[in-house]
Amino acid sequence: MATKPIGAGVEAGLESIRDGIAQGRFPARVFNDQEIFDIEQQRVFSKAWCFLAHESEIPDRGDYVTRYIANNNLIVARDESGEIHASLNMCRHRGNMMCKSEMGNASHFRCSYHGWVYKNSGELVGVPYMKEGYEGRIDKRDWGLIKVRTQTYAGLVFGTLDPDAPPLDEYLGGFQFYLDLYLKQGNSGSEVHGPPDHWVTETDWKIAAENFSGDGYHTPVAHQFGFNLGYFASSGATHSQGWAASIPGKGHGIGLGHTPGFPPFAGFPEELADEMRRSLSPEQVEVFSQTRTAVGTVFPNLSFLMQPFSIVPGQTGVRFVTMRLYHPIGPGKTEMYSWCLVPKDASDEYKQEAYRAYTLTFAQAGTFEQDDLENWARVTRSAGSTMARNIEFPYVMGMDSVRDPDFPGPGHVVKPYVNDSNFRNLWSRWSDYMTGQV
Amino acid sequence: MASKKPDRDAVLDATDFLHREALALDERRFRDWLDHLTDDIRYIVPLRVTREGQADWEVSPTSRIFDDDKQTLTLRVERLETDFAWAEQPPSRTRHYVTNVVADPGEREGELLVSSNCLIYRSRGDSVEPNLYSIARKDTVRRVDGGLLLARRYAVLDQSVINGHNLSILL
Repeated sequence: MATKPIGAGVEAGLESIRDGIAQGRFPARVFNDQEIFDIEQQRVFSKAWCFLAHESEIPDRGDYVTRYIANNNLIVARDESGEIHASLNMCRHRGNMMCKSEMGNASHFRCSYHGWVYKNSGELVGVPYMKEGYEGRIDKRDWGLIKVRTQTYAGLVFGTLDPDAPPLDEYLGGFQFYLDLYLKQGNSGSEVHGPPDHWVTETDWKIAAENFSGDGYHTPVAHQFGFNLGYFASSGATHSQGWAASIPGKGHGIGLGHTPGFPPFAGFPEELADEMRRSLSPEQVEVFSQTRTAVGTVFPNLSFLMQPFSIVPGQTGVRFVTMRLYHPIGPGKTEMYSWCLVPKDASDEYKQEAYRAYTLTFAQAGTFEQDDLENWARVTRSAGSTMARNIEFPYVMGMDSVRDPDFPGPGHVVKPYVNDSNFRNLWSRWSDYMTGQV
Repeated sequence: MASKKPDRDAVLDATDFLHREALALDERRFRDWLDHLTDDIRYIVPLRVTREGQADWEVSPTSRIFDDDKQTLTLRVERLETDFAWAEQPPSRTRHYVTNVVADPGEREGELLVSSNCLIYRSRGDSVEPNLYSIARKDTVRRVDGGLLLARRYAVLDQSVINGHNLSILL
């Protein structure tokens, strides 16, 4: 993919941002800046593995959803043999959009401009007036939809625009251990509860990605109402307990909040907890059984949160999982996609309960989500000001913390949960991409 | 098209009820607003999805933005009464414009099925760009002790991708 030339001053600036991260500093302006946004589109989103869809969104042959990588609209479709393809949603003849809806089912896509027809795998099969008009000058094999490379992990379909990107497994680099907590809830795994919420926010995707990579620090303040009214299963005093785990050199990170005395796998239906004890590795069981909150980000822009919530103050409540994608649409502007994942094997009753807990807390009208977005919108606004261009933020929390030798999971794992080490890892990886090291 | 004659009293009563309910929200009398709801209220805002015209549904049967009952709506109001409902600090200025009210007899005795359009103007802080939410509402309104109460709200937003960085208001 062609890269726009970037001035020497900008390159030096990006290098200095990279150096700053190692010392625990990161500039405010990256959270709302046109130049950074443009470079990110080319250097991060054109090279990384980006999340496209959950397999359960397209369970049957012909099912498709339309999604984005950077500003490229893609069709993610299951073909007639059950294989998943991602193709640029653009007719090869004159560029019209093929699928205009968010989701549907079709064996073929027919362009509404001149009528070129493609199979849902992207193969060109029909060209009107082929004989009379083209006189054999078009070989259909040369003019299929532009394909995007895809790979899946435990139901997650990722795509990359970079043909030379390493395999997805290598890209995830061990973070799968932690992702299983969200994706392997029971023998049959997880499924989406329905189509995602999406809404446009005045926030930069990076603020959300950072927060979800394990910001336990904001919870007692930003979500103070939950503590005050007793709807949250920890207190300000115990909230910092737990681990921050990150995969060095990969950018992925997760915060694992832990409440002393919280029963193992609390909030899961009993039979599901039993299944997880058998289907997960002993190391995963050791970590997950004592995890209250798990909030993690897969670099660059896919996040998860698992949390118990009770509408009766003081009770354990029910576990829910939200998965979200931060699709950058401009500097300081993001289209949020938010799904609720439920364990496929759970009872309908539990799925409904978990979904209701999700809507009340982390859907776009959710009581926790509302406050996060209010804060993030203000951060974004501040970051775009002229004075903020020369201001750096401190990323020094837990700078000297060393790996917890007793922790059974992979990566750099430190205590307490309240720690900037995941964020330094995230922005260090981002800087690698931005400076062309990846 | 032949249409049955509307019950003028029912339409007037329903319209008056919806206006008063909206006024409670716009004047931020949230406890008063709760008093406009039956104890078995279901308050649902489903997700609208952009689909082809032939698709079997356009409003998601499973995905919802709000999925509340009296207990959770009370929780939302209790939250607004704390000092920590940051999303509404300072509060949004809202104006609910309720029009096109059509009232038909409901499934149960004493209930009306009320359709209305609702346009909500929401202004925050010093922003000159308001959020506008255009909504189709299908409410069930129940006659209780001579007055009306809201027993079900089913409100569908006309946008599939919603603007406004959050939805911290009631629809």
